[in-house]
Amino acid sequence: MHYATEEQRRGTLKILEFVRILKDADVRVSPVEVIDVFGALGHVDFTSRAVFKQALSTTLIKDYTDIPIFERCFGEFFDRRPADEADASLAVFRGAQADGAEGEGLPSGDELREAGDAIDAYIDGLPDETLATLSARDIVNLILDDESLASSSGALGMMVMNARSRRGRSESDADEEGDDAALTFIIGRVRRRLRERNIGRSIRAREEYLLNKYIYQLKPAEVQEMRELVRRFGQKLKNRISLRKKRVKHGGLDVKRTLRSNLAHGGIPFRLYYRDKKIDRPQLVVLCDISSSVNQYSRFMLLLTYTLQGLFSKVRTFAFISNMVEITPLFMEMDPERALNSIFTDTSFTYGFGSNYGRCFNQFIDDYSDSLGRKTTVLVLGDARNNNQDPGMNSFIRIKESSRNIFWLNPDRRHLWDWSDSIAGLYAAHCTEMKEVNNFLDLSEFIDRLFK
Amino acid sequence: MFKDVESTIKALESQQYLCSREIATTVFLAMKMEKPVLVEGPAGVGKTELGKCIASALGMDLIRLQCYEGLDEAKALYEWEYAKQLLYTQILKDKLSALLEGEKTLSDAIARLTAEEDVFFSEKFLIPRPILKSVTAKRPTLLLIDEIDKSDSEFEAFLLEVLSDFQVSIPEIGTIRAERKPFVLLTSNNAREMSDALKRRCLHLYIDFPSMDLEERIVTIKVPECGERLVSELVAAVHRIRELPLKKGPSISESLDWAKALTLLGCDVLRRDLAIDTLNFILKYEKDIELVKKHSADVFAH
Repeated sequence: MHYATEEQRRGTLKILEFVRILKDADVRVSPVEVIDVFGALGHVDFTSRAVFKQALSTTLIKDYTDIPIFERCFGEFFDRRPADEADASLAVFRGAQADGAEGEGLPSGDELREAGDAIDAYIDGLPDETLATLSARDIVNLILDDESLASSSGALGMMVMNARSRRGRSESDADEEGDDAALTFIIGRVRRRLRERNIGRSIRAREEYLLNKYIYQLKPAEVQEMRELVRRFGQKLKNRISLRKKRVKHGGLDVKRTLRSNLAHGGIPFRLYYRDKKIDRPQLVVLCDISSSVNQYSRFMLLLTYTLQGLFSKVRTFAFISNMVEITPLFMEMDPERALNSIFTDTSFTYGFGSNYGRCFNQFIDDYSDSLGRKTTVLVLGDARNNNQDPGMNSFIRIKESSRNIFWLNPDRRHLWDWSDSIAGLYAAHCTEMKEVNNFLDLSEFIDRLFK
Repeated sequence: MFKDVESTIKALESQQYLCSREIATTVFLAMKMEKPVLVEGPAGVGKTELGKCIASALGMDLIRLQCYEGLDEAKALYEWEYAKQLLYTQILKDKLSALLEGEKTLSDAIARLTAEEDVFFSEKFLIPRPILKSVTAKRPTLLLIDEIDKSDSEFEAFLLEVLSDFQVSIPEIGTIRAERKPFVLLTSNNAREMSDALKRRCLHLYIDFPSMDLEERIVTIKVPECGERLVSELVAAVHRIRELPLKKGPSISESLDWAKALTLLGCDVLRRDLAIDTLNFILKYEKDIELVKKHSADVFAH
C-alpha cells in the first residue's frame, strides 16, 4: 500500500493496531467497520481528542455494552502515550551527557524515534506464538544478539552496538553512561511495546479470570468489579437469547383475521395473516438459600435473574434460610442492587438456627403453590446443608410434580455432596438435574441452556 | 448539510438543542458518509428530539415511522391498493372482454392478459408508506425510525436494503432507488438487541445523561423563565439523585418538567420541603421517592 506521507503511514498502522487490541478484548469489529473508520477520519479534524475518540467509537463500537471496554482500551492506548515520549527518552541521554560523558554520538530526537520504531517493528515481526513465550528480557537479548540489526546503518544499529558493549561488562564498571542509556532505552521501549500489544488481551484475561473464579472465593474488591461484569455479561446473554427466540415465530393461517380484513375487498383474500406461534418463554420460580454459606453466590444468581427478567414470561423469587419469604415485589419497585441489600439485611428469613430446607419446602407448598404450573421451571439454589433436620421430602416431590422441571444449582463441589450435613443426594434423586455451579460462567451457560 | 463539527453544534443550538461534541461528531460524520445512525440510550435523553432538530435545522422534511410489535412491510414500506385494483377490474370488465374477444383458446386469452398485467401492478396502485416515501422524496428528507427495538426482528430484514443501498425492491415493479439519499436516524431504548447486520450498516451513537454543565444550559434554554440559582441547584440535585440506586432515574425531560413546575410555584431557590413534595415530577416509583427522601439531607442544599 502506498501512503502519501510518513505521518499517514504511522497513523494508519496505529488505528489498525487499535482495532486489533479491541478484537483481543473480545469486541467484534467487522472489516466494513474498519473501512468506515478511515472514511470517517477523512472528514474530521482529529487533533481534537473528543472528536477523534467519537469518530472511532461511532464507527467501531456498535454494542453499547462494549463502550466501557472501548473507553479502557482508548485510554490505555492513546492517552497513556505522552506526545513527547521521545523527548523523555532523550532526557535519559541528556542526563548521561550532563554526567560528563562525551557529547558526540548522542542520538537526536529523530534518531530515537527511528530506533524506537525499529524496535516496535522488530517485535511486531516476531510470530505471535514465539512472542507469547518470551519475556521482555528475552526480547531485549534477542535484539542485542541480532547480527542484522547490529550491522544495519540506522539509529538502532548504533544503539545495539553501544548496548552490547555495556552488557559485556559487569555492573560496577559503568563508566560510559551513554551506553547504559542505550540499554535502558531498548529495555524501556520493549516493555512499552509489549504492554501496548497486550492491552486487549489483558482485559479479556481479567474477565475470564473473574468469570471462572469460584464465587465464594472472590475478594471484596473483585466483587465490585464482578458486579459490573455480571451486568455487562447478563445484558449480552439476554441480547443473544432474545435474538434466538425471535427466529421461530410464524404459525399457520389466521383464518378469522384474514377473512375480517379482506371483507373490504369482497372477501377475496388479497392479504393473508398468520397466527403467531406462541413463543415458549419459561416461567421461572427461583428459591434461593441466602444463609451465609452460599450468600455471595445467591446474590449473583439473583442479579443475573433480574437482568434476564424480560426473557421469562414470569419470574417469582423466594428467599429462605429457615423461613420462606417472597421477594418478587422488592425487585419490582427497586433497583436490583438496592433490593439485594435490603434482602440481606432483613432478618425475617430466619426461624431458629441455620438453613432448614425441609421447613421451607413445606412452607412453600402451603403458601405459594399457586406459583407452580405446567410451564414453570423451578430453580433451587443452595448447598442442601440441612443441619440434620427433616428434609421435607414430600413437599419437595410435590413441588417437582406440579412444575415442568426442577433444577438445583449447588455451589458445593460434587465430591462434597452428601458430606457432613449435606443431603444433596437425597434431593438430587428428585430433580431434573442437580448441577455443580460455582462460577459465573457455569451460571450463564446454565441459563443459556434453559432456552434451547 | 453541516460544514464541520462546530457548525453542527451551532445549527442544533439554533433549534434549542444543545448537544455534546460527541453527538455532533456522529451526526456530522453520518451526513458526510451518507450512513444511517442508530441512536441508543436511556429513555428521555432526547433521542427523538435530535432527529426533529436536525430536520428543522437543515430545512429537511421529516418522515417519522413509529415502530411497534407487529409492524409489517405493508405499513412501513408500501402496500398494493387492492380495493382500487378490484374496483378497476370491475369497471373495466367490458373492456377486458373486448380485449380478449379475438383470442380463440383459453391459453391465448391468458397470454394476452398476461401481456397487460403490468397495468394493475404499476405505481398507480401503490400506496407508499414512510420508507418508500422517504426514498422517492424529491426534497431533502430525514427518515426517523423511532423505537426500532419495539418492532419484530423480521422487520429489521426489510430495513437492511434501505439502510445500505437506499432502495426498495418491489417484486412486481422492480427496484426503486433514491435519487436523493434520505438521512436515516433509528432510535432504540434497548428493549432488545438489534441484529449485527443492521448495526454494521449504521454508525452508532450512545446518548447518556448530559454533564452537569450541559444540563444546566439545556434547562436554561428550554425553561428561560427559571432563575439562574434555581437552575444550578436543581440540576445539581438531579445529578445527585441519579447516583442513587433507583429503579428509574430522572431523565432530561423530567428535569425540565420539574424546573417548569417549581418556577410556576414561584421558587427561586430549591427548598428541601418543596422539592420533596414535587419529587413525583422526576421519579415514577414510590420506592424511589422514599429513597430520595431518606437521602434528602445529602441531595438538597437547603
